[in-house]
Amino acid sequence: MRSKLREESLYSLLFLTPAIALVLVFVYFAIAWNVYISFTDWKGLIPSYRFVGLENYRTLFHDPVFWTSFRNNIILIILFVPGSLFIGLLLAVLLDRKIKFENGFRTIYTLPFALSFVVTATLWAWMYDPSDGVLNTLFSMLHLDFLKSNWITDPHVALYAVILALIWQFSGYTMVIYLAGLRSISTEQYEAAIIDGATPLQLYRYVIIPQLKKPTLSAFVVLMVFSLKAFDFIWVLTSGGPGTSTFILAVEMYKETFAKTKFAYGASIATILLLLSFAIVLPYLYWSYRGEKE
Amino acid sequence: MRAGRLILYVVLIFLAFVYLLPLWSAITTSLKTGKQVTMTTPIQLVLPPYFGAYKTAFSELRKPILNSLLFTTFATIFSVMIGSITGYALSKLLKGSTSKKLLMFITLGIFLPYQSILIPLLRIITKLGLYNTIPGMILTHTAYGVPITTLLFTNYYHEVPDELIEAAKVDGASPLKIYTSVVFPISIPAFVVTAIYQFTNIWNDYLFGVVLTRGEEAMPATVKLANLKGSFVANWNIQMAGALIVAIPTLFIMIVLGKYLIRGYTSGAVKG
Amino acid sequence: MAEVRLINVWKRFGDVIAVKDMNLEVRDGEFMILLGPSGCGKTTTLRMIAGLEEPTKGQIYIGDKLVADPEKGVFIPPKDRDIAMVFQSYALYPHMTVYDNIAFPLKLRKVPKQEIDRRVREVAEMLGLTELLNRKPRELSGGQRQRVALGRAIVRKPKVFLMDEPLSNLDAKLRVKMRAELKKLQRQLGVTTIYVTHDQVEAMTMGDRIAVINQGVLQQVGTPDEVYDKPANTFVAGFIGTPPMNFMDATITEDGFADFGEFKLKLLPDQFEALEDGGYIGREVIFGIRPEDIYDAMFAQVKIPGENMVRAIVEIIENLGSEKIVHLRVGRITFLGSFRAESKVKENQEVDVVFDMRKIHTFDKKTGKTIF
Repeated sequence: MRSKLREESLYSLLFLTPAIALVLVFVYFAIAWNVYISFTDWKGLIPSYRFVGLENYRTLFHDPVFWTSFRNNIILIILFVPGSLFIGLLLAVLLDRKIKFENGFRTIYTLPFALSFVVTATLWAWMYDPSDGVLNTLFSMLHLDFLKSNWITDPHVALYAVILALIWQFSGYTMVIYLAGLRSISTEQYEAAIIDGATPLQLYRYVIIPQLKKPTLSAFVVLMVFSLKAFDFIWVLTSGGPGTSTFILAVEMYKETFAKTKFAYGASIATILLLLSFAIVLPYLYWSYRGEKE
Repeated sequence: MRAGRLILYVVLIFLAFVYLLPLWSAITTSLKTGKQVTMTTPIQLVLPPYFGAYKTAFSELRKPILNSLLFTTFATIFSVMIGSITGYALSKLLKGSTSKKLLMFITLGIFLPYQSILIPLLRIITKLGLYNTIPGMILTHTAYGVPITTLLFTNYYHEVPDELIEAAKVDGASPLKIYTSVVFPISIPAFVVTAIYQFTNIWNDYLFGVVLTRGEEAMPATVKLANLKGSFVANWNIQMAGALIVAIPTLFIMIVLGKYLIRGYTSGAVKG
Repeated sequence: MAEVRLINVWKRFGDVIAVKDMNLEVRDGEFMILLGPSGCGKTTTLRMIAGLEEPTKGQIYIGDKLVADPEKGVFIPPKDRDIAMVFQSYALYPHMTVYDNIAFPLKLRKVPKQEIDRRVREVAEMLGLTELLNRKPRELSGGQRQRVALGRAIVRKPKVFLMDEPLSNLDAKLRVKMRAELKKLQRQLGVTTIYVTHDQVEAMTMGDRIAVINQGVLQQVGTPDEVYDKPANTFVAGFIGTPPMNFMDATITEDGFADFGEFKLKLLPDQFEALEDGGYIGREVIFGIRPEDIYDAMFAQVKIPGENMVRAIVEIIENLGSEKIVHLRVGRITFLGSFRAESKVKENQEVDVVFDMRKIHTFDKKTGKTIF
C-alpha cells in the first residue's frame, strides 16, 4: 500500500541508473584502475600488472622532464589564469556600457572559445610562423620590427607564446561569465552609488567588483583545472617543443604513455594531475554546495 | 562624455581586430595558391580567390567529418537525454541530502582531468571491441558528457516550481507521465542550450579521438586536421582551409545560436 | 461528497514538529478554513490530506476510506484520493492552453474525448473562461489564471477541494471579488472544501467553520462567530479581529472588581461568580476586550454603571474614515479603542471611555485558556 514512496523511488532508480552506471564505470572505476596501474610495471603494449609499489613515483620525482613540466605548468597557471580573468573582466566592463552592436562585439570576442583547440592551434601556428607568419609580417609592415620574434621556435619564448594564444581563446569565456555577473547586479545599485557621488572608477572598485566574487571563483576553478589538463592546443602547436620548453604535465603524460608506451609511468603522472586538480576542485565544490545550503 | 564614448568604441573595434586577426589571416591564406601565400602578406585578400586549397583539404577531411558528425550527433542526443532524466530525478523526485550527494557524485566528473582515466578508458573500449569504432566514440562522449548535462538540467529544473509537479501528481500523473507531459515540454529551452553546448564540446574534442581511433573508420575531423599539419608542412593554404572547414559547425553555432551557447557557458559550464 | 477526518496526526521534519497531535473533522459539504500565521503547520496539514506529505503518526480518512496511517503502512497516493487542489501559485502548465490545462486531469483518467470536451466547456462556462480556452497561461491576467486553476480542480468533480492560499497572489480588489465568487461556487457545487489562509478576513467571510492553528497545534474549531465571540484562548482572541483584542493584566478583588492598578472596572455578577468558582479571587488574570467594545463616553450606546467609565489620554488617532482607531493610555496601561467617526477626540487630550463589560473576556494567566 505504500505505493507513493515505492513508486517514486522505483522511478528515481530507473531515471538515475544510466547516469550513475556511466559515471561509476567511466569516472570512479577508471580513476581507481589508473591509480592501480601507476603502482605496476606495465610497459609496452601488453598490460602487465606486476605490483612495484611507489617505484614509478620515485622515478618520476627524479626525472628532470617531470620537474620541467611541473615548472612550466606553474608558469602557465601564474600567467594564464589571472591574465584570462583580467582581460575577460576588462572586456565585460567595456561591453557593459550600453554599447551599440553589443551582441556583435560579444560574438567576436567569444568566437575563439567556440573553436576546437586543434583549429586554434593550427591558426596560431600560422600566426607564429617565424618566416612568413602573420605576426612577423604584420610587425614588418607596421615598422615594429623590435616586436618580431621566433615565437614557438624559440625555447625562451615558446611557452609565453602558447600562454598568449590561450588567453586569446579563453578571455571571451571569462568575459561572458563576468558579463552575466555584472548583469545580475541591480541597476538600482549603480544609481545609488552615482547619487552617493561615486566616480565610475569608484563605482567599479567599491560596488561592482566586490560583488563579482562568485563568477571570479567559478571561472578561476575552470581555468585552473584547464591549466592542468591542457593538452590538445600545446600538443598540436608545439608537441611540447622546442626541446621540452613547452612541456606541461598533461603533455608529458601523453608522450610517456602513448609515444613511449610506458603505461604505468604515464599513469603515475596522471595520478599526480588528478590529485592536483582535486586539490583545487574539492574545496570549491564544498564551498559552493555549502553556500547553497545557507 | 562624448569623447569618452568615442574612445570606448575605438578600443572595442581595435580589440575586435585583434580577436579576429587569426581567423582573418586564415581566411585570406586559405583562398590563395601556394605561390600567392609566399608572395603576399597574410593580411591581404587576393582576388579572384583560389579554391584549390579547400578542394585538397576537403578531400582529406571528408570521411573524418562524416565520422565526427555521426558520433557527435548521437553522443549529443544520448548525453542530453540522460542528463535530462537524471536532472529531473535529482531535483524533483529525490529531495534533500541524498539528491545533493548524488549530484556531487555525478558532477565531479566535470572537473576530471581526462588524462587520469585515459589508460583505463582505452582498455575498457578495447575490451568492449569498440576501439576505432563510431559506437566507441559515442559511448565515450556520452559517458563524459553526462556530468555536465546533468548539472545543466538539474540547475534548470530547480527553477521549475515544485507546485507544478505536485499539481500534476494530484491531477493523477505518474512520475513518468509527469516527465513526458509536463517536465519535458517545458524544458525545451534547456534541451536547446545543453544540446548546443554538448555538440560543440564533442565536435571540438581531440584527446579521446586521438587515443581511441587509428584509421579513418572512426577518426574525428580534429584528429585528421592535426595530422594534416604533418602531411602538408608549410602548405599554409591547405592547413588554413582544413582548419576553417573543421571550424565551420562551431563557427555557425556561435554566430547563429551564440546566445544559447553562452547560456551554456554561464550556467556552470566548462570546456574540455 | 465526503467528510475528512484527521485522528491524532503528527508530522515531523527532522527535529521540527510541524503538526502536533491534530484532531479535526471536516463535515460533508463544509467549507473549512485552516487559519494561522505562516509556519504554523496549516499548509503541512493540507498537504498531508492531499497525499503530498506522509504523516509521521496518526490516521487520515477521506469519506470512509483510510488514506494514510503509517502504523498500518497505509498510504494512498494523491491521484487515488479523489481530491483536487488549487495551489498558491496556481501551478498552471505553462506549455498547455487553458483548455488543455483543464482537460489534463481528465485525460490522465482516460475519460472519453467527447466527455472531456463537454465537461471542460461546462466548467469554462461556469467560470467565464469560454473565450480564453485557446490561450496559454502567460497570456492571462492573475484573476484569469486563478479561474483556470479553479477550473482544473472543479472539472474532476472530486470528493474534496483543497486550496492553499489561492487568493494571496491577487490584488486587494480582485481578492474581495473572488472571495465572494469562490464562496458562491462552493455552495453551488456542495463539495467539501478545505482552505488554507493566513488572512483572518478571508477566514471570517468564507468559512462555514474555522480551524485556528498555531505552532502545529489546533487551537480551536468553530464557526466564525464562535471563534470571534468565544475564543478558546489568548492566541485565538488575539489572532482574530483587527485591530486586535486588548490584553491587560488585572487582579480580581473580593468586592467584584478587576483591578488594573491605574483603574478598576466593576465585573458583572455572573462574571464574578465564574471567577470565584475558578478560584481566581485575589489572583491575576488576563483581561481582554476588543477595541470596538470600548466607547467614547459621549457616543456610548451601552448603559453603564458609572464606575466603568475611565479617563484616558489620547496618544495617536488613526482615522479610517468609517471609524477612528484611538491609542489610549491610562498611566502605564495602553489600549486601543475603535471609536465612531463622529467622535471629537483629539491627540494629547483626555477623553472619557466606557468599557462594555458584557463583552469582556478573561484568560488564565498561566495557560492562556479562556475563563469566560
